Amino acid sequence: MPISRRDFLLRTSGFVTVSAMVPRWAVKGARAFEESIGAPNALRTLVVLELAGGNDDLNTVVPYADALYAQMRSRIAIPAGAVLPLDGRLGLNPVMTGVKSLWDSNRVAVVENVGYPNSSLSHFAARDVWHTADPLLAQRNGWLGRWADRYIAGSGNPLACTAISQSLPRTLLADNVGVPSFVNLASYQYQTDGAHPGDRNNQIRTFLTQNGAEYEVLNSAGRLSQVGEDAISSSNILQAVGAGYVPGGAYPTGTLGAALLLVAQIINANVGARILYVTFGGFDNHATQNVDHDPLLTTVSQGIKALFDDLDAHGKSHDVLLMTWSEFGRRPQDNGSSGTDHGTAGAHFVVGEAVRPGVYGAPPNLSNLDANGNRRIENDFRAYYGTILQDWLGADAPAILGTGYPNLGFLNRGYV
Amino acid sequence: MAINWTREAAAHLLRRAGFGGTPAEIDDLYARGLEGAVARLVDYEAIDTAAYEQALAAKTYNLANVRGLQQWFLDRMAFSPRPLEEKMTYFWNLHWTSGVAKVRGITLLHNQNKTERQYAVGRFDDLVVKISQDPAMLVWLDNALNRAGRPNENYGRELMELFCLGIGYYTENDVREVSRALTGWTVQNFRQTDNYNGATFLDNPAFHDNGVKTILGQTGNWNGYDAIRIILDAADSEGSISGRFIGTKLWSFFAYEYPPSHVVHELSEVYVASNRSIREVVRAIFLHPEFHEAHTRKTWVRSPVEYAVAAVRMTEATTDFATASNSLSGMGQVLFNPEDAKGWDWGTAWMNTGTLFARSTMVNTLSTNRGTSGTRFDPNRLLAGRDASTAEKVVDILAERFNVADVSPAIRLSWVDYVNANDDGSRGNWTNTVAGVDKKVRGLVHLMLTSPAFHLA
Repeated sequence: MPISRRDFLLRTSGFVTVSAMVPRWAVKGARAFEESIGAPNALRTLVVLELAGGNDDLNTVVPYADALYAQMRSRIAIPAGAVLPLDGRLGLNPVMTGVKSLWDSNRVAVVENVGYPNSSLSHFAARDVWHTADPLLAQRNGWLGRWADRYIAGSGNPLACTAISQSLPRTLLADNVGVPSFVNLASYQYQTDGAHPGDRNNQIRTFLTQNGAEYEVLNSAGRLSQVGEDAISSSNILQAVGAGYVPGGAYPTGTLGAALLLVAQIINANVGARILYVTFGGFDNHATQNVDHDPLLTTVSQGIKALFDDLDAHGKSHDVLLMTWSEFGRRPQDNGSSGTDHGTAGAHFVVGEAVRPGVYGAPPNLSNLDANGNRRIENDFRAYYGTILQDWLGADAPAILGTGYPNLGFLNRGYV
Repeated sequence: MAINWTREAAAHLLRRAGFGGTPAEIDDLYARGLEGAVARLVDYEAIDTAAYEQALAAKTYNLANVRGLQQWFLDRMAFSPRPLEEKMTYFWNLHWTSGVAKVRGITLLHNQNKTERQYAVGRFDDLVVKISQDPAMLVWLDNALNRAGRPNENYGRELMELFCLGIGYYTENDVREVSRALTGWTVQNFRQTDNYNGATFLDNPAFHDNGVKTILGQTGNWNGYDAIRIILDAADSEGSISGRFIGTKLWSFFAYEYPPSHVVHELSEVYVASNRSIREVVRAIFLHPEFHEAHTRKTWVRSPVEYAVAAVRMTEATTDFATASNSLSGMGQVLFNPEDAKGWDWGTAWMNTGTLFARSTMVNTLSTNRGTSGTRFDPNRLLAGRDASTAEKVVDILAERFNVADVSPAIRLSWVDYVNANDDGSRGNWTNTVAGVDKKVRGLVHLMLTSPAFHLA
């Protein structure tokens, strides 16, 4: 664990005070990780990128060589000549030059036709299924929340799992691990009276004192005090990293770019971040899809590329893996409004040095559709999750997801 | 055990039975004596709400969207003259929650909230029937789709598991049979054209399964009313199962989690003897010596909603909760939009570093508010009529107001030091001036409201 004794800056508007505070969790947390899952994996970070609304993967990873594709999508098909070919059958949407360049440097796996049997076409239900990894919705906690309860609880690290989000995504809902969610560094700090900036240090000092009491029995007040201390110490680290940060990638404007920049900053803060979760919405494109969808894909592609460029520039990309998910793909046949309706299977990206590059699964089969005109599932989404749990996080995937889901092989198991 | 009725006991009662109160409200309760204070809270129909309802209506919250509905409910919790009525409505909102993500019709959620308020301290069986026929609930837990030959067991299960009995007191077969009995309780006019707001309850005989069912050992051609009656009548060697279940839940909410079994049995007996009167169970809780023990106080972690409401009430601020929707989301609780049927976990699950900052940001916005419309907060009001000549006195006045005078001497001293401190951190002297109040009283309010002692009720 790279965190050792260090000083943390107590930043204020106007002047800076040095505090010699060393967060309890920064040291204790590192040991707990190493004991539970081994040192190599303890350094790894998984970035989860949710494309909310149901991404139309057929216009993302285009089966350009399939005549049925152009036929079924007479209004919105991406022309075969325009795609960025991955192989002789599939190509990326032409706006996705960023992901294509990562592909060209052997850092991308595309996992095709991911879903689950009897897919729900409801956003509400389908998102819950993906969040909990349970089509029966009998699990309350998220799949990564269950991972966290198993491997992170007790580490005391408040930033082990973090969501760059207004509220907590259910994927990270856990029983025994608190997952902070925030949209920018400005909101992850103890704000004080803007009219009296000179009084800020007094306030922060007092806040720390009122959370610094020792408790013989760890009652509610004691636990709340720990949260208060952890909040200030982790915030100080992040604010310090954020303040001097020079991005090594060209992030797109807007919320996704800001969120991915924050991801890079947290990774570079060396605080033992294991899961960083980002949601990016807008993919429910029922009408005039391409006008909306192409800019979304542009942003996603630029964002992923910028993140890895930035991590490369800081020497961090070795220990970072990014995965995408979306609650469903969309119907192969376009609708009368030049959009697409809710579908089933979808293609997802896994990006990082640890991937075994390539396409996993066959190209979408557009001639063998179900009664709703939707694609059939080839790879169960729990196999997709399980491969990442097992080969990236070193976790006992069946204990978290249940048994019977094959390892899809898109990660290099010898990667160290 | 005799209950030592003190002003602190009255403050504790008001924190739990309501959302905390002003010094004047605590004084008023204290003066009534224990039984008078409890009666004032529990028999709340005696409190006239006409003026409040008129003021609320004049605020014209936009009840066509969920944000407006959140504002409306938060306003009630913060400003209604009947604290327990709103606290009980909030309890039911947590107990059988329904969410906008699935229900969609804002009016349906609004109506469910009104039903919960109307029956808040009434008979439990009346409320269970009303909720089982509530359009938002029928959509939320799918009983609207439950019909003969095409059963949907979602509501039948939760009716027993989450709402009335708890796991262990029914079988999977009971789930199936209760669900069959509930077939036909559905909605009509649930339509996109009016944003799903026009749905009403429909008992559709064409969808009802007329076969014989066996529920908890009783066989007959049961319908929904029968199923609810059988569930609530269920008893074992220790007495009423629903009485112990709802007694435990209410005690957990108002006192502390995991009540001793003798307390649960006492509450269950009150429930049975009073024909399942929630009012009498709640009264028994507030009059129970165990409720007034020191170990009961300051153990409840305020939920985000309770925290926001208590902060507004106890600072005597006025607000329209216009930004509350965002604040509450960051704190982890979006009213009328829970994650799932179980709703939110209670206790320290609310607190992590991110939600703590969201809370501190919300109360910072409140304590530093200098506006003259929307939210208004006047720090001078907190010291009015009091001797605030020293930092110690300022700290004690505010600590008493926010019910945080129970902190350690070290924390109290840090507050005194804060009030006296110059900007460079050196020791200065508090002056009771406009400038001093504007800086230090606002700052101290923020600090106290973000202390562990205030996150706990």
